[in-house]
Amino acid sequence: MTPTNAGTVPRRRPFDPVAFLAVPAIAYLLFVYALPLLWLLVRSVIGPKGFTLEPIASFFADPFNWRVMANTLKIAGLVALVCLLVGYPTAFALAWARGWVQVVLLAAIILPLSIGVVVKAFAWQIVLRRDGIVSSTMVGLGLWDEPVRLLFTETGLVLGAANVFLPFMILPVYSVVKLMDLRLNEAGATLGATPFYRFRRITLPLTLPGVVTGTVFVFSLSVSMFVIPSLLIGDRFQTLATLMGRSFLLMRNEQLGSTTAAVLLVLAVSIVVGSGTLARRLGDNA
Amino acid sequence: MTDATDFLSISEAEKSFAATRVLTRVNLGVKRGEFVSLLGPSGCGKTTLLRIVAGLLSPDAGSVRLDGVDITDRPPHHRDVGVVFQNYALFPHLTVAENVAFGLEARRAPRNETQATVERFLDLVHMRDFAIRSIKALSGGQQQRVAVARALAVRPKLLLLDEPFSALDRKLRETMQIELKRLLRELSTTAVFVTHDQDEALMMSDRIAVMNRGGIEQLADPATIYLRPATAFVLGFVGLSTRLAGSITAASDGQIVVATTHGPIRAIGTLPIGSAAFIAVRPERMSIGSATTKENSIDVRLRDAVFQGSKVQLHFDAAEGDQIMVETTQLPETPLEPGTQIALSFAATDTMVFPTESTS
Repeated sequence: MTPTNAGTVPRRRPFDPVAFLAVPAIAYLLFVYALPLLWLLVRSVIGPKGFTLEPIASFFADPFNWRVMANTLKIAGLVALVCLLVGYPTAFALAWARGWVQVVLLAAIILPLSIGVVVKAFAWQIVLRRDGIVSSTMVGLGLWDEPVRLLFTETGLVLGAANVFLPFMILPVYSVVKLMDLRLNEAGATLGATPFYRFRRITLPLTLPGVVTGTVFVFSLSVSMFVIPSLLIGDRFQTLATLMGRSFLLMRNEQLGSTTAAVLLVLAVSIVVGSGTLARRLGDNA
Repeated sequence: MTDATDFLSISEAEKSFAATRVLTRVNLGVKRGEFVSLLGPSGCGKTTLLRIVAGLLSPDAGSVRLDGVDITDRPPHHRDVGVVFQNYALFPHLTVAENVAFGLEARRAPRNETQATVERFLDLVHMRDFAIRSIKALSGGQQQRVAVARALAVRPKLLLLDEPFSALDRKLRETMQIELKRLLRELSTTAVFVTHDQDEALMMSDRIAVMNRGGIEQLADPATIYLRPATAFVLGFVGLSTRLAGSITAASDGQIVVATTHGPIRAIGTLPIGSAAFIAVRPERMSIGSATTKENSIDVRLRDAVFQGSKVQLHFDAAEGDQIMVETTQLPETPLEPGTQIALSFAATDTMVFPTESTS
């Protein structure tokens, strides 16, 4: 507080009527999204005899569900990792490209977003078949002895999902790279730092907030994906999202579905909130 | 222009960007411990030359030698050339002390040695109390100090400064200029300084290289640059002057006579008889009234007098629409009224002569 207004109570900011412009969006989200979601979650703790934690307890008592949770986290983690390894350098290429090269790169990253996930997943089915492009290329190069079917394997699922979610990694990293002062790297060089040292001490820390954001995007999308695992790996491999779908659609077990949804939601929200905090802390230093 | 005793020598450096030639066969020699400024308008190639010396750009042709070693093909991190950037380029994610320590850590200096060096250099730039502050919490002048400390802490053989004062306000700039000059002398650092500000260059430099259109027009000490500009460009870029056109009618012993509409004017120079030329006189080298000790005199009429505190700037009209500016610190006893007819006199040794430019 400055000396001039020391001792006085800071005046409350008057309500800004512009905030009313958000009313339609808030009302829409409240009635068609938040309330139904709340109802769904409440269903997981309401039994025939009122409030009960029995469904949640039995969910966690079943080792099958633990495997489903492990599957979900493992696949989401691998997808995020693949996207990071492929997307991080791509973001630099995009940020530093000039002229038509940048336009082409940007189009190549953005345009696939307009193709539906189902279409992409079917395309991957063709690519990942035993006689698909991947298999025949690897055999042709002599790297594999015989054709291998990647479709309906975890590898195939990770490859397909990483393809769909890659832009969500590239774009946040791209936006921080774009803002980075290129002189910083030059300053590092004139101070005697090798390219690797510069990357470790300058580029990496300054792009970390973008990496965290991109990883959160891809991870939370992968944790809850339903169509891609349904088409690329099938029923033998269950994730929380596919289990939830099966509970509602096939098994008609709404109790299990609600409980799974609650677990998935808690998982996803804690990841987003946790890494949001991490990103803010990193952002403060950057 | 360069010789074997030069600490830094740039020879025949050339650089083009696409179809634009930015540097044309530039030669420059800098002695050990010397402070040399590259002075010129924007786009003259001074920053390009600086970046070539730092290794941030490679020349299309020519070479750069530092301390007897050809460094033309060395990457910047193997050159031992420090740079203070125009925007300082401080690392925003590090503290003041971490910024200064960066170069030492990159060179794997022992930890206790690094700490001692950081403290010493923060002391030198009066920033020790700010060691653990974030860069973002600093003012422009403080950032500039940190940038200088960071560049000097690794004890580079050569320090390059790219308009480091341009973002500071005038008063702060003057303080920082004096401080930097003192610091570089204490550490006997060789420095090359890029600026478009003539006052800055005149005040700080041992020698000034005036650059224009990708070449060096003149390399000399500040007094020579100001009093004996080698070309009309240097005359126009550094300081004020009055110019009068004429042609050479006589020449002997380094003195020539230029016939102008204001009568014959004696000047120092060597130009062929009959060639078109113009004479130029610095405003403070003209005296009001006729003086027998001065060879040249012209009749003028006062148009305007501008009081500037320590001096008065007088604008006169001469014949044929010529205008003459005089600066004096000695105010006349009776104030001059506009319209007053008066004579101005100036010495032949203060009169410069240049051939009339064929273009521009």
